Amino acid sequence: MRLWPYALDLSIAPPDRERPIRLWLPLFLMWPTLAGLALLIFVVTIPTDAVLLLIGRSYHHFTLLAYRCLGLLAETRGLSIHVNADRNDINMTFY
Amino acid sequence: MSEDRRRILNMLAEGKLTAEEAEQLLDALAARAASAASTSEPAAGPAIKGDPSALIAALPKFLYVKVVSVNGDNVDVKVPLALVRSGLKLTSLIPPQAMNEINDQMSQHGMSIDFNNLKPEDIDELIEALREMEINVNSADGDNVRVYCA
Repeated sequence: MRLWPYALDLSIAPPDRERPIRLWLPLFLMWPTLAGLALLIFVVTIPTDAVLLLIGRSYHHFTLLAYRCLGLLAETRGLSIHVNADRNDINMTFY
Repeated sequence: MSEDRRRILNMLAEGKLTAEEAEQLLDALAARAASAASTSEPAAGPAIKGDPSALIAALPKFLYVKVVSVNGDNVDVKVPLALVRSGLKLTSLIPPQAMNEINDQMSQHGMSIDFNNLKPEDIDELIEALREMEINVNSADGDNVRVYCA
């Protein structure tokens, strides 16, 4: 699995401003929180999947689902959205 | 002409591959076809010898959605194809009850897609097809929507 995005570059250029407002949001500061949340999720999903498997349910993939959801977050690296509307210019890129 | 062969020749024509790389790929395809013809089993091992990084680098990595409207509003979205692939693969892990609910909601909104029928091997094929996709929509009032991979 790739690393989660470490920064979000947000640039907003309203028509009345000469220079755009540019923000670098340090997403890596959220990594410990996200890792803790992932741990809590796995604490719940692993026993759940084990029980579902033991009782013979065909669906017992909650852990894998949670893991893939975290992987999906990681794949947002490189996502870029640029909107130019009503002379406002907004640019957002995940790194 | 097979689909793979056409794709390689297209990539060569577009300059995404050098003549040597294209030859290497065509040889690998021919070897695989010969191997498949001689045995009923599919060819084992990698079809491409050597370092495939140049070939991988030539493949599209992003899905672009560009909207240009006549009143000057523009939207430009660049989505990594890896995100599309992960998202589609995630659908195969959604619990059946939730999937039924999603299918119901989608059909209520006019999109009758049954995600239960989406298998992992179909997803790979779908992503491969996406790489060659290009959609251009020019509306009567001048708005333009373009979706493509690069």
